[in-house]
Amino acid sequence: MGTPARRVGDLYRQPDRGGPAQLADVLERVLDKGIVIAGDIQINVLDIELLTIRLRLLVASADKAREMGINWWEGDPFLRKGNQRGLEDRLKRLERSAGIDEADEQEE
Amino acid sequence: VNEPSAPREASATGIYVYGVVGPDTTPTLFADARGVDAAQPVVLVAGDGIVAVTSSVPFPEFGQHALEANLQDPLWLEEKIRAHDGVLAAAIGRTTIVPFRFGAIYESDDHVREMLAERRDLVDALTRLAGKVELGVNGYFDRNRLRERVAAERAPADGEESSGRAYMQRRQLERELDTAVGELAAECSDAVHERLAAAADDARVNPLRPSSGDATREMLLNGAYLVAAGAEDPFRAALDELRARYAGDEVVLEVTGPWPPYNFAEATES
Repeated sequence: MGTPARRVGDLYRQPDRGGPAQLADVLERVLDKGIVIAGDIQINVLDIELLTIRLRLLVASADKAREMGINWWEGDPFLRKGNQRGLEDRLKRLERSAGIDEADEQEE
Repeated sequence: VNEPSAPREASATGIYVYGVVGPDTTPTLFADARGVDAAQPVVLVAGDGIVAVTSSVPFPEFGQHALEANLQDPLWLEEKIRAHDGVLAAAIGRTTIVPFRFGAIYESDDHVREMLAERRDLVDALTRLAGKVELGVNGYFDRNRLRERVAAERAPADGEESSGRAYMQRRQLERELDTAVGELAAECSDAVHERLAAAADDARVNPLRPSSGDATREMLLNGAYLVAAGAEDPFRAALDELRARYAGDEVVLEVTGPWPPYNFAEATES
């Protein structure tokens, strides 16, 4: 702790194979773990649970799918495909935000 | 923070809460963090002894109905979930974090303060998790190779048999092999978890993620371990020891994190 320039998080953020944290690891934690707080905006807990289950199934092959150029949610009719329009932009933003722990944050 | 003078109910923005941190946390920790609305800065909302990590979100995107619709959009969801984690990750190793689950949204800072005043269990969680981070360990094994090895270790007993009988014996052998491989994987999973848990302050086993159909990479352990930030050496040493021990068993142990302690945020009886 109390280290210079780089944060502790930067050192390990990537799994052993490199790259940003795998989607499955992030999804499982942020959607399914953490303290449950009832905010003013109510997300239906059952919806979240169903969503988590579906995502867990899908995400098992997500990173592999992405390597092969397939979208990870394809195969689930419930999940609507992202807008084809502007998809490129969103992916770029996504990659940027996924890489938030890496080099580019110095610029902000 | 300057409150808008418009009535809160009519406000077009909500307050998204990522989690709470200790009262000594400086806002500069989050200066580079990008929130779930990337245009909005992360703002700390102080309560008594705890501080909420928040940012503004537009209701057209995060209001009740919009949110329900957006949850069905995988690209949107991935982006927001990574942002949620990214904001908290900015504070890892710098201050104690009690992460919230995705989607805690309030109408105003005052409502956030009310929540902080009501949820005194958050103060306990901060104490419990002081200076701690979570490491994930994903264990995988190669079912085919393990199966081959087990098969090779078993004496190929049969000689000349009638083809019908040989077929039945082969079927029987296959079943025994499957059972043996399953048992080996489960034993390995238990042993790895037990050893890692011993090197951690707390530990959780999560359900295995379904196989992606890749038999060379089937999940064997989905574990989460609570360790003191900056004192991860004993844990990593245990991991190396296990990697060496199971190197011949086609087992891969991948470590992820450090994470905010998502898996340990909720108090449990155990």
